[in-house]
Amino acid sequence: MIFLSRLKAFASSRVLATLGMVWLGVIIFAAVTAPLLAPFDPTEIDPIARLSEPGSLYWFGTDHFGRDTFSRALFGARMAILIGSGSVIVALLLGGLVGMLSAYFTTLGHVFMRIVDVLMAFPALLLALVLMTLLERSVINTILVIGIVYASTTARILFGMTLKLKNEVFVDAARCSGAGHISLLFRHILPNLISPLLVQASFIFAFAQLQSAALDFLGLGLPPEMASWGNMLSEERIYVTRAPWLLIFPGALIILSVFSMNLVGDAMRDSIDPRFKNDIAGV
Amino acid sequence: MLSYTLKRLLTLLPTLIAASILVFLFVHLIPGDPAAVLLGDTATPQEIAALTREMGLDKPLWQQYTLWLSEVAKGNLGQSIFFKAPVTSIIADGAQTSILLATMTIFWIIIFGIPIGVLSATRQGSWVDQLTSGLAMFFASVPTFWLGLYLILIFAVGLGWFPSSGFPSIFDEGGISNLRYLLLPSLTLAAPNAALIIRLVRASMLDISREDHVRTARAKGLHPTKVAIKHVFRNALITVVAAFGFTFAALVSEAVVTETVFSLPGIGRLVVQSILRRDYPVIQGVILVIVVLYLFINLLVDLAYAMLDPRVSLK
Repeated sequence: MIFLSRLKAFASSRVLATLGMVWLGVIIFAAVTAPLLAPFDPTEIDPIARLSEPGSLYWFGTDHFGRDTFSRALFGARMAILIGSGSVIVALLLGGLVGMLSAYFTTLGHVFMRIVDVLMAFPALLLALVLMTLLERSVINTILVIGIVYASTTARILFGMTLKLKNEVFVDAARCSGAGHISLLFRHILPNLISPLLVQASFIFAFAQLQSAALDFLGLGLPPEMASWGNMLSEERIYVTRAPWLLIFPGALIILSVFSMNLVGDAMRDSIDPRFKNDIAGV
Repeated sequence: MLSYTLKRLLTLLPTLIAASILVFLFVHLIPGDPAAVLLGDTATPQEIAALTREMGLDKPLWQQYTLWLSEVAKGNLGQSIFFKAPVTSIIADGAQTSILLATMTIFWIIIFGIPIGVLSATRQGSWVDQLTSGLAMFFASVPTFWLGLYLILIFAVGLGWFPSSGFPSIFDEGGISNLRYLLLPSLTLAAPNAALIIRLVRASMLDISREDHVRTARAKGLHPTKVAIKHVFRNALITVVAAFGFTFAALVSEAVVTETVFSLPGIGRLVVQSILRRDYPVIQGVILVIVVLYLFINLLVDLAYAMLDPRVSLK
């Protein structure tokens, strides 16, 4: 019976994760083909069509400039993918390297992990805000800031995992057969960390969506003229009583994307190597 | 336990110092002369020269740091450019709102998070579990400001049940009933965090219910409810306590957004407005206060954890 219920849980989490992946695919498709799919220019202003209700011409309605919300949402998908994958790459590269090297070279680790401790003394959004104060509002800076914020968590997680792995017999065996540091780290230890890294990647992707939307909302994220879901919500929030659709569509897109990536992360975490079960922090 | 406390205090110190150095350096990382940065655009050369002398900005960096730190220790966090008032008193002004908001939020998190988490775990696999787990995941995926805007739209603008923004002090006219201004904000802030606690309580209860001592309790014929409460839930609470540090960090981050949505005169909105106003002394002061608070909360959490689970301090 227990086996059956486990099997059921696994299957259902797989179904949800698949749906999550499908949604991610939809967003990527929208991001790539945005210029082809968009019925209007996302920046085209039409004063006569201000705050039009959703209909056959404007599927998601228009904003207070008369810009087509559907077209803007499509271009917003580009930003979502760009910010999400960019932050994942920065966080995993930076955090992954720091975590692995710190666990492998203990002396280096003492210094590196203290720096990580200090960075983790700052609540995530606060650290992002402080960093954005020092930088200009741009896509690349938003990616860097969110990436750096989650690099510290990634570093700590990978530090713990690498510590466990480096004392395992297969690493000893490789060392005895003459493998050097680089080979041990990247050919023997790293392959074992790929699946937890993927789990981490999906959570960071989800977090990055929320953080960048929050930064946009506070006026400290992407430049205001860029069509991102966060900016769309931020700019149009004073018109929501007259045009509630301006709140619904971009919000629903953010929620669906974050939800999907959390589902994917959850399902992957459930099927992960049991040695790392307690290391991964999710939602 | 005492030696653990001392050890933990000793590890806190370097982090505290390093964090304070980082906060100190913040002003130096901004392009331009630090004195000019701290005084704002309207400063005269005489004022800049005076502040340069006062803060020792012509001295080496480490001397500036010790000078700054000794002022901080005296409770002097500098002068706000915008308010022309001490940063300490500006932070104190915002503290009432933020502390009340945090208290109400934590109240909701406990009221909703823990019972729903327990329910979900004890009915694992049932429709109740699937519904609550789904909802918890949903609320963890909703942007705080979006939820806030929606609650304003429905309950303040639409139904008119609650005020949509602002917060008059509870010491002003209206007294304690002014707390109704914080109801929607605290619920907004509680939603993602309660969702987190639900997931956490559920996961740790399921983990613990697989342990040997729970099997023994069941085997000796103890009532399932009693097993769930006395053996599983009590141990799961330890995990929840341990997660409080993380919850605090999430609360601070989301309070920045929530206070902005509801225009609450708290510390979170102060940070955002100060950033937009380039009021660097206030930003520096608030960040320092929050980081120190966060580190101490983490210390308390760790000590509480060690007290609840003696295995920790023996390691």
